[in-house]
Amino acid sequence: MGKPKIASDWLCGCAGCHMSLLDMDERLAHIVELADLRATPITDLKEPDESGVDVGVLEGGVNNSTNEEVAHRMRKRCGILVALGDCAVFGGVPAMRNFFTVEEALRRAYVETESTDSGGKVPDDPELCQQTRVRALSEVVPVDIHVPGCPPDADVIYYVLSELAQGRRPVLKDDKLHWH
Amino acid sequence: MINLTIDGKAISVTEGTTVLQAAREAGIEIPTLCDHPELTPYGGCRLCLVEVEGARTLQPSCTLPVNNNMIVRTNTDRIKAARKFVLTLIFSERNHFCPYCQVSGGDCELQNAAYDEGMTHWPLQPNWQPYPVDASHPYIILENNRCILCRRCVRACGELVGNFTLGFEGRGARNLLVADLGVPLGESTCISCGVCVQVCPTGALIDRWSAYRGRETQVDRTDTICTGCSIGCGMTTLTRDNNLVRIEGDWEAPANDGLLCEIGRFKPMAETRHRINTPLVRKDGTLKAATWDEAMKVIVARMKPAGKKVAALVSSRMSAEALYGFKQIFADQLHSDMVTSIEEGAYTATAAKLADKMGSAYEGQMSDLLSADGILVVGTDLVKEHQVVGFLVKRIAPAGVPVVLVDEGENKLDTVANFVFKAAKGNVELALRALTAAVIRLGLNKKSVKIADGLVEEFAAKAGLKAEDILEAGRALAEAEHPVFVYGKLLTAPEAGEALEALLNLAAVTGAKVISTKGEANSLAASQYHLDKAFQLNGHEAAYVAIGDEEPTQRLIKKLEGVPFLVVQAGYTSQLTAMADVVLPAAIWLEQDGHYLSLEGRLQFAHKSLQAGTDVRSNAEIFQNLAGCLGVTIKDDWRSALMLRQSPVTIIG
Repeated sequence: MGKPKIASDWLCGCAGCHMSLLDMDERLAHIVELADLRATPITDLKEPDESGVDVGVLEGGVNNSTNEEVAHRMRKRCGILVALGDCAVFGGVPAMRNFFTVEEALRRAYVETESTDSGGKVPDDPELCQQTRVRALSEVVPVDIHVPGCPPDADVIYYVLSELAQGRRPVLKDDKLHWH
Repeated sequence: MINLTIDGKAISVTEGTTVLQAAREAGIEIPTLCDHPELTPYGGCRLCLVEVEGARTLQPSCTLPVNNNMIVRTNTDRIKAARKFVLTLIFSERNHFCPYCQVSGGDCELQNAAYDEGMTHWPLQPNWQPYPVDASHPYIILENNRCILCRRCVRACGELVGNFTLGFEGRGARNLLVADLGVPLGESTCISCGVCVQVCPTGALIDRWSAYRGRETQVDRTDTICTGCSIGCGMTTLTRDNNLVRIEGDWEAPANDGLLCEIGRFKPMAETRHRINTPLVRKDGTLKAATWDEAMKVIVARMKPAGKKVAALVSSRMSAEALYGFKQIFADQLHSDMVTSIEEGAYTATAAKLADKMGSAYEGQMSDLLSADGILVVGTDLVKEHQVVGFLVKRIAPAGVPVVLVDEGENKLDTVANFVFKAAKGNVELALRALTAAVIRLGLNKKSVKIADGLVEEFAAKAGLKAEDILEAGRALAEAEHPVFVYGKLLTAPEAGEALEALLNLAAVTGAKVISTKGEANSLAASQYHLDKAFQLNGHEAAYVAIGDEEPTQRLIKKLEGVPFLVVQAGYTSQLTAMADVVLPAAIWLEQDGHYLSLEGRLQFAHKSLQAGTDVRSNAEIFQNLAGCLGVTIKDDWRSALMLRQSPVTIIG
């Protein structure tokens, strides 16, 4: 049996959780020893293997139809799905916009922004994805492991990945459990 | 005693104890949210559910009284699942997004409770209904999105402070924390004591001055006392990188029962006056920065020859050490005939004289107020001054404790009082004599006294009051078992006449304890050092005003105009420092240690929380330097010197 495969992707997040993942520094090498790191947004391979991976990691909440697609694809192709970071776990900072309608948020972003010089226009190309309310990952697909934090500590990510790579289920409690 | 078993541990507690208290006494942790040790149990959050053998459902331990042979379990799987479910519901009810909350990261009891239960996520998503945010108040932000409806703030506002500003409106999901009848907090009857902010378990009520400036784990805590007035409330200052972040009331403190008022909690945060960072000496008409040596040389050159003709004033907000140093320099060494405090004995003079005459202490303790069942307030507005004493009065009034108010002018406590007597100017003494006569007429006097008939009517008429009201109020006070009288400036100012004796006569016939509110933080110490006479300039060649943290009054500034040479020792710039010939930069209350004598005679130590600037010195230090430069010796037996004069209240410590 080969090494367990791990793939990751990001949705509506800020990439900070993946930065925190890189913050593992030399311990990354240890993870690579234990597991086969497959597709990630920060490596060349962008989509998880069609043949499936053992562990899928998703950063960010779900805020549009593309995010939904990515989430469903990862769920379909992975054994254990990890929601990484506060956005994936709760909705996080982007969820602040849920207090307004999608239209209001788009208008604020593309028309009413102080830096918009004249007119402004909400992008409406039919090829673009459709915006939705910001949801936690678990509202869209079943999630096996929640790793909260904004971002989760590199130590916590290392603990979670090394446990999973060795076939154990990580338990987040005490000093490993922080929501931000 | 009641015997019960909690988690297999046999426990014996007194009847009436709740299961939660019994568990805590036995060292068994039960998580809670709406519970607060200073407030009556409410049973609102359901986090403290326990399993009781024989009970059909889980029971809230905070409101469940213990029973003989009760068998309680606090940590079964059923309870753990219930706790998680309770937390899930609370999180889903409003918008508890931690990343953008001020208390997140250790200061939030809701978040900590979820951590304790090992919750990595919320099984139910929040409802995205936005709740109103009320930022109308100068110090407090009310963020309804963070509210868990625990009612701690509502209970604290009513039970602890007696202000009843906060309450809830609406039902179910529309249940909303509101001020008064739904007005913005900033326009409500809120008195800005901030106890609601201190008890709030989440970020629903936050202090806008301290918000986002440091969490519990990032700040240093110093237990000290407030020097805002003579009560000497225990407080904790939270500081970070030599900045004041927040002030909290100390629940363990003897005087204030954990409460603070606006002056203690928020005013120091909102301080906008400019500090003086270096000595200043007037050269060619303008104040110029100078060294301490230069400044002292100028002072010595002008004050030493003036000797007796130096008038000296000190703020009674200074420590006993500083006051005693000041007194020795100017009164004992320079023999000046005008050495006094800025408050000029207004809050202590007659009381001190009476104590001298009686040769014994006659005042009671703040704690007497906690068990009082009848209260008389004379000549002080406890809503404006010495507010924490006011809280202790206001909070027992709703329980049916009669409150009698005797004063001359406007007094905001009159909305709380059952009997309000506004005597004509200078006639408070008559009102008190009328009350005394009323108690004797009713035959309720605890000390036998014979007086002439008709005195109630005579005194009442002279004071412009109705005799029947006086008789009714007299009955209310006399029927109390533990009456407490609180008196203020109207009876203590030098011009008060014999009103204080009249009050003590009334206290004698009713068996009441009396408490005087006094003035500034070290009013009593200033009085003990005889720094309590009226300030008058009479051909003085120089004046030394150690004003410290205080803001000068126009009256004081006027009096000091035309003094040939003026030295001001101050923490902040003011109109007075602008007039001065030499300004000495003094540390403010947070930056220096020292002892304070509270209104109940408790000698307390104020701890330094912040480091002053390099050229700024503590008041006691400045007096030591000054004594050295003037070539006079001062002793540091300030403690025994405090005891030399008979105090109106027994000095403790």
